[in-house]
Amino acid sequence: MQGPAGGRRPPLVRQGSGASSGSQRRTSILSGIYANKAASCRSLSTTSDGKAVDRASLVGNKYATRVFDDEGKDVTPRPLFRSDPNTVVPRQGKLLASSAYFGATGSGFLSSFSMHQTSGVNGSLGSFSRTYGSSSTSLSNASTTESVLDEIVEPGSRQDTAVSLSDVQVRQEEIKEWTKEDLGRRVDIYLTETETIWILDMPSVVVSVESEDAGRVLEQNRIYVDICKNRPGNDRFVEKMMQTINGAAKNKEVQCDKIIMEDKGMLVTSWDLYDSFNVSEIEPTSKAEGSRATTGKSSKSHTAKEHNQTMLVSSNRGSTTSSLMISESAVLARIHEEEECHSEAILTSENFQQNLFFMERILMENIFQPKLAAYRQFPVLIDPDVTSDMSGTVAAVKEAKQEEHDKEKKDKEEQKDAFVDPSILSDLNKTPEEIVPPRLEWLWSYICDLTNGHSVSSMAWSKVNPDLLAVGYGAFDCKEQKKGLACCWSLKNPMWPERIFRCEHGVTALDFSMASPNLLAVGMYDGSVTIYNVRSCNDTALLDSSESSNKHTGPVWQMRWVEQDRGATGDGKKERLICISADGRITEWFIQKRLDCIDLMKIKRTESEKKKLPGEKERKREALISQQAAGMCFDFHPKGPVYKVAWNPFSTDMFLSCSADWSIILWHQDSQTPILTFSSATAFVHDVMWSPKSACIFAAVNESRVEIWDLSASILNPVTSCFANPRVKFTSVLFAENTDCLLVGDSKGEVSVFELQNLAAPNNNKVGTLHDIIGPAVAI
Amino acid sequence: AEVEETLKRIQAHRGVVATMVVNAEGIPIRTTLDNSTTVQYAGLLHQLTMKARSTVRDIDPQNDLTFLRIRSKKHEIMVAPDKEYLLIVIQNPCE
Repeated sequence: MQGPAGGRRPPLVRQGSGASSGSQRRTSILSGIYANKAASCRSLSTTSDGKAVDRASLVGNKYATRVFDDEGKDVTPRPLFRSDPNTVVPRQGKLLASSAYFGATGSGFLSSFSMHQTSGVNGSLGSFSRTYGSSSTSLSNASTTESVLDEIVEPGSRQDTAVSLSDVQVRQEEIKEWTKEDLGRRVDIYLTETETIWILDMPSVVVSVESEDAGRVLEQNRIYVDICKNRPGNDRFVEKMMQTINGAAKNKEVQCDKIIMEDKGMLVTSWDLYDSFNVSEIEPTSKAEGSRATTGKSSKSHTAKEHNQTMLVSSNRGSTTSSLMISESAVLARIHEEEECHSEAILTSENFQQNLFFMERILMENIFQPKLAAYRQFPVLIDPDVTSDMSGTVAAVKEAKQEEHDKEKKDKEEQKDAFVDPSILSDLNKTPEEIVPPRLEWLWSYICDLTNGHSVSSMAWSKVNPDLLAVGYGAFDCKEQKKGLACCWSLKNPMWPERIFRCEHGVTALDFSMASPNLLAVGMYDGSVTIYNVRSCNDTALLDSSESSNKHTGPVWQMRWVEQDRGATGDGKKERLICISADGRITEWFIQKRLDCIDLMKIKRTESEKKKLPGEKERKREALISQQAAGMCFDFHPKGPVYKVAWNPFSTDMFLSCSADWSIILWHQDSQTPILTFSSATAFVHDVMWSPKSACIFAAVNESRVEIWDLSASILNPVTSCFANPRVKFTSVLFAENTDCLLVGDSKGEVSVFELQNLAAPNNNKVGTLHDIIGPAVAI
Repeated sequence: AEVEETLKRIQAHRGVVATMVVNAEGIPIRTTLDNSTTVQYAGLLHQLTMKARSTVRDIDPQNDLTFLRIRSKKHEIMVAPDKEYLLIVIQNPCE
């Protein structure tokens, strides 16, 4: 390019720089800008001919520089303009043409190209290219110049956006493959000084008086002054006006659609994003209320899918938080005619029921909190904000606590009627004693309208959930038989049972299974046995024995699920349901499709006329054998029917029995005569139970009182007792396994929970004590 | 039916001042108070429930609000929120 072009240049061109103003002007324009001292390849100018290509390629490769950042990533700025490769071809021709053109103008600029300049003009001409393109008056010049100049662009300079098409072409063409030899080749770089570039030349208008031209200048000045003087009024100077032609202005209008701007605000929360991500995964649950739900929801979920990376556009409700459900329900709620069925649907929805359930429980907790805390043996917290003007449980508890703290205690004989009216507590004001004797304190009662009127016949704890209590209700006396009821009460709701099973006959015995804790076996007055599944709220029994041919003919008095070790058969533990009824049979029931039973043993009746037979409580399999022996024992003992037999949970060979002859008898397994007899009141003793915590303590309930006996303290008198309401008779008693509480059922259908306080600390070693106590008795 | 029973039992509880069931718009479905008070409660508690739910879910988006209890000097307000309704019970815990 340069080489041949320069070769054709007439050497005269050098003076062209000073010559014509036109060309000078062009030069100045051309030489436009900055003296960029590029050390780079002005070598173009110096070497001749064939190397041009090399230079160009050298230069061109300067474009192939790459910029790397710290991590070695290629962050070479990409060209902002990409040319068409099609137009690359005419480049060469253009260059030649341009150089010819330049030659024609004789521009002094081109003199810089001439090779034979020793001092040679060098090229920070490369810098010309940049601004020249934008400011040039002759476009063709510009393009060619640029194309020439651009090869000289030094690597560090920025690529111009105004770079013309040919620019890029040049660059692209010049890139060729480098080989190792190329890289290692010696490159000659020549540095030469450029010609002085005149950027602005303002000749002075002041001439020295002593110069040669001084006279001439003075003369000219004088002539000029004369002319100016002569001007006004001179015929030779006429004022003339001219009208210029104004080009017609043309207005052009463009109309576009109004750009509507909207502001939308949004509160983005992390759960919002989470929801939108998960919307596609959640199936749209079709609501039962109507078809509107599905359409509304699917459209919303579509939008959600689209926008799942960005903020969800809130619904047109104007709220700033977006939530699919809220917007959907807003849309839904607007449909007026569906509102009514909507509200119905709400009331019947499962969620609502569940919420009601929770709400009830929480209300209960609020009301009963102090009691429940006492039950669990937590310290009772007194709410500081609670105003103290209400009577009732809280006050009673507080006072009770105060009494304890003040050590105001009453005598054992004067037990307060904690059961009936808690406010009576405050009446008692005795002299303080050192030792606080144990007493019973009423916590709450399980009672509701449903159970009112039935008599509590039996109670049993669930084996798995120590807070679940099953209570069987049946008529107390044999004469009148009503429909029975079995209810499951939970600690969390003392005012309404969790499950209600209605039975045809009065319930006389029940027990929870251990192996499958949802099974509750209920024995009834007519001798039938039914099994309920506590998990379901259904009233229907799981299994019923009414079809069995072998069932009892008398009321079932006791039943137990007994766990047995069947080591021989290798089946592991199995559970059997065993019950005893008034017809003298102990039967084992099998749970298959129907309940069926086989007889285990028959109890003989001897002398006394027993209307009822004892129930048994077994701890282990082998107890059955001793049952037999016990059966015989019983024949002798009671003058009245035996209501209950209870083994001592700590000592394996002693048991208690209680009967209608007003007495509780402690038996030893081996002896046929009673060891100890306890009697305290002239009333039938309906129920007796050992305390699960201590070997010496048991509770007995007779018709008017519940008594706690502590054999280590006294064998003549109960340690504490609690009177019942005069109209009500106590019928059953049950210890709580995990806490010091006692449950007492009465004939009104109420199950009261009492807390045992200040009872002697349970000591596991009491068995020894027990033996010591009875020792003398046995010896006798 | 069972729902009705449970509702009645709750209303009959000791210390329960009011029971309200309002839908998501604030329109009462069941209430034992007058309409204006119910609407007022519903509106205020709805906002509070939204805020509480937002707080809970912000901390862990997989969590959700199940129950809200506000204890004040005079009452305790218990709110069981749901997508479609609000169950509000106001109780005097002392009595």
